[in-house]
Amino acid sequence: MNIKSVTGDSGVRRWFYQRITGIFLVVLLIIHFTIMHFIGTGEIDYQTVAPRLASPYWKTFDLAFLIFALYHGMAGLWVVVDDYVHRDGWRVFIYSLVVLVGAVFLVLGVLTIITFTPHMLFTIPSKI
Amino acid sequence: MKKNIYEVGYRYHPGTVAWILHRLSGLALILYLVLHIWVIHNLDNPIGFNKVMGFLNEPLFKFLELGLWGVIVYHATNGLRIITVDFFTMKGAKFQKQMFWGAVAIGIVIFIAGAVPFVGHLVK
Repeated sequence: MNIKSVTGDSGVRRWFYQRITGIFLVVLLIIHFTIMHFIGTGEIDYQTVAPRLASPYWKTFDLAFLIFALYHGMAGLWVVVDDYVHRDGWRVFIYSLVVLVGAVFLVLGVLTIITFTPHMLFTIPSKI
Repeated sequence: MKKNIYEVGYRYHPGTVAWILHRLSGLALILYLVLHIWVIHNLDNPIGFNKVMGFLNEPLFKFLELGLWGVIVYHATNGLRIITVDFFTMKGAKFQKQMFWGAVAIGIVIFIAGAVPFVGHLVK
């Protein structure tokens, strides 16, 4: 029995995509941290975040970020399962869980980004 | 006794420690990622958003954020080191050891550079 017995592949594509998404994530994280934490006051509130999330460019950015991060994370979990879970039945079960968790949070994140419309932008106080 | 072909063995040298830390930091980042997606998903209204963010602007969370920054910098620099070893080194990753310590040095510099604005916000 070898590693192909459960998934039907050797994982070489996952290995490759893990590196590609990793490189993208470094770039996206640099932008994310610069915008959110390094410039500005360090305080994050609705008034600064909402206009960004309302723009189609940032929605695209966030969607790419979400997809790459979730893929990278779930592919990472996949390898951990490869290393420590040895019974075929358990592997199939846990692989399914990994896919399910990834899908659920993908849907949650996509809904957050796509459906977002800002409200009451100029009427709320800056500190609650 | 039959040897389990999947058995993961550990022999400790810098590369092994880096690998274990990469795995642990990766798991921590997955946990953070799903929490992040969940929290943002439930913050559609301005009042609730600012309430939670006010909470997250407390020094304790700023401190935790600094920890998150450390975990991210570790995972990113080590990840780029792995990619370099995988893709860009000829002759069987001849410079592995030098690159390991190079990555450590670069990681420390990036961590400190990013920590400065955090600490600035913290003491302000």
